[in-house]
Amino acid sequence: MTWADLGSGALRAALPLALWGLAASIYAVRRRDARALASARWSSAAAFALTVVAAVAMVGALVAHDFGIRYVALNNARETPVFWSAISLWGALEGSILLWTAILAGATTHVAWRGTRSLPSLATTALAVLFGMLAFFLLLVVTPAADPFVRIDLPPPNGRGPNPLLQDHWLMALHPPLLYLGYVLFSVPFAYAMASLILGEGGDRWLVATRRAALVSWALLGVGIVAGAWWSYAVLGWGGYWAWDPVENAAIMPWLVATAYLHPVMVEEKRRLLRVWNLALVIGAFALTILGTFLTRSGVVNSVHSFTQSAIGPLLLGYLVAILVLSVGLLLWRAPRLVDAGPVGAPLSREAIFLFQNVLFVAATLTVLLGTLYPLVVEAVSGAQVSIGAPYFDRVGVPVALALLFLMGVGPQLPWQGASRATLERQFTAPLVAAGAGAAWALVAGMAGPAGILAYALAAFVTATVAQEFARGVRARRVLRAEPAATALLNLFRRSGRRYGGYVVHLGIVVVALAIATSQARTVEAEATLAPGGSMEVAGYRVTLLGLRDETEPRRRLVVADLRLERHGAGDEVRPALTYYPNATVAIGSPGIRPGTGEDVYAILAAFDARGRAWATIRIRVIPLVSWLWVGGAIVGVGAIVAALPPPKRRERAEPARVAAEAAVGAT
Amino acid sequence: MSGPASLLRGRRLLLLAALATAVLIAVVALGGLGGSTVYYLTPTEARARGIAVGATARLGGLVESGTLVYEPTSRDLRFVITDGVTRVTVSGRGAPPGLLREGAGAVVEGAFAEDGTFRATQVIAKHDEVYVPPSPGATPARGRP
Repeated sequence: MTWADLGSGALRAALPLALWGLAASIYAVRRRDARALASARWSSAAAFALTVVAAVAMVGALVAHDFGIRYVALNNARETPVFWSAISLWGALEGSILLWTAILAGATTHVAWRGTRSLPSLATTALAVLFGMLAFFLLLVVTPAADPFVRIDLPPPNGRGPNPLLQDHWLMALHPPLLYLGYVLFSVPFAYAMASLILGEGGDRWLVATRRAALVSWALLGVGIVAGAWWSYAVLGWGGYWAWDPVENAAIMPWLVATAYLHPVMVEEKRRLLRVWNLALVIGAFALTILGTFLTRSGVVNSVHSFTQSAIGPLLLGYLVAILVLSVGLLLWRAPRLVDAGPVGAPLSREAIFLFQNVLFVAATLTVLLGTLYPLVVEAVSGAQVSIGAPYFDRVGVPVALALLFLMGVGPQLPWQGASRATLERQFTAPLVAAGAGAAWALVAGMAGPAGILAYALAAFVTATVAQEFARGVRARRVLRAEPAATALLNLFRRSGRRYGGYVVHLGIVVVALAIATSQARTVEAEATLAPGGSMEVAGYRVTLLGLRDETEPRRRLVVADLRLERHGAGDEVRPALTYYPNATVAIGSPGIRPGTGEDVYAILAAFDARGRAWATIRIRVIPLVSWLWVGGAIVGVGAIVAALPPPKRRERAEPARVAAEAAVGAT
Repeated sequence: MSGPASLLRGRRLLLLAALATAVLIAVVALGGLGGSTVYYLTPTEARARGIAVGATARLGGLVESGTLVYEPTSRDLRFVITDGVTRVTVSGRGAPPGLLREGAGAVVEGAFAEDGTFRATQVIAKHDEVYVPPSPGATPARGRP
């Protein structure tokens, strides 16, 4: 049996299982039939196992260079090392859809076995929704348009090799799967929301049940986006990390909506408000994940990521339209049952801040959506091809981001329902002083322009609010339980992980904001043509071209520039290169990066003497604080893990009394 | 919090403020759209449309063989971009991206000068997975700019 037989056989066997699971879970809900539910459970597990077999078969075929499979012939070559062969599973369209399907099957199985235990009717209905989506994707992977195992009658002696951009950096092993996990896991909250509407529950059970799934999905998406930015920085060689490319936009849009969603979830839980709004956000975020897939996989937009045009586009578009029509239809049908328990009240309450935060996030999303889709509209209307440049996105993005940073500091400091003057003074005196210090620091650090200075001030503001929260929490535990400070801090994370994990996320966002503001405002660039031994000066660095050399590897050829960096006597070497792959018409630039806590030195080999290697044009960018962008992303991930971990079970009942006591101590 | 009447007034104020924020963002966004739109044209289309001198545009086509000249010391860059029908001379400062090659696709962003040459502020080579040269006079093949 070949890899192709194994893989395509597994996918074809999984499809009827998904359809059976769909039927069985519907039957199980309607007749309250335990046997049907058991059957649905086992079919989800079997379908998951089969999709994993198919994915493994594809990896096996890639590693074995089985060019009898078209996907392998197009995305692999004999020279491709094992690691890059294996991760080519997500290097192109069909493999990505295969991975997507396997993750969706995993999510379905999780709901089938775990979810249905605590909330039988709701989770089983959600299970039916998930089976429906899984059936669509399995149908997709067995149609010729997206079948990863399509065979070639006459296998070529060697394949074309992976896309050169995708075999250069280890982050490629991380960035796509993280994004796919984030995208696909969001179908769990979506499925529960739909189930709640189908059953006409009108309550919040779906939301409470999927809080963790939403948080994990959001975090994976966020970390995946940062990993993508890092990859783009380390590989694409233009010295930036974000270009408002349609595919970047496709990833950031669901993340923005999901961020908006995670916050009022707390409002609904605490005050039972905004029910219709929360459902609309879930639908919006989920639809945007599919829109992203459609945009990137159909070739309708120009992008770094666009795979070759494919017949899969119309199918995905049909799926997107079906999802939107069904979910919005359900929402409208059930809207009368979704009555809020009371209006949002005072402007200076936490729920009011959440409302504003939501307006900003949704407006930002719509802005990005408009900029992403506008070229399509123009082309449809006038036939002209246009692109929307970064100035459009920055114009809206910068003020909205600053406003959100501000709200991030204000929101957690305000009580529910409204704040008194005394509360405001107590909560904001120290943060406002910190904001002033932050602005002064910005001026000292050489930030110019109101946006940059404001970013520093707000970063200090938010950091101070978070520090204040931690200080009060620790003090309360020390006073009430006589715990040493370190234990108290640990217990804050363990017992109120959602709250304090959330603060850690906020700190991560502050770090990201500072990194972006500083790197955007204070990057210094210089370019010069150097002969070996020649040097240039940039931002205090002396850059010397030691020499140019040629390197040959089985799968590629490189021209490497050896550069020496010197500042204050300390020296480093960086080696930017141009890489030639046999399957690419042009060279791929690999920047040489010397990362640092204060600044990165980013070197690009822009041009070189093709005949005698007698000169090279070197471009140097000195980019301050850019490494902190990745660190900030990691902090966000860690905070999300803390927030998602379940609190220890036993002392749960003592909690309300303790919280009250904490608040009392905090108030003094 | 004194009575439902003030609560209602507070709520209306809040919703109005939220709405005003949304409208403000929409106005800023729509206002920025026109200024940030970059047309993506072939040399033939650029000539036919009569793109104004100084207006930002992107030209896509092939780098004509034998025309790419890069002067390392001054870092002056010159080449002809063509779609097989119309040729446009492109000049720029700074090294060509390593990706730029004669006979291969390129996208240049910049504006036309008085003398009819195109002053590039950015030169982007196309590297599709499989590069297909555009047919004469056709719109640039889609793919990575």
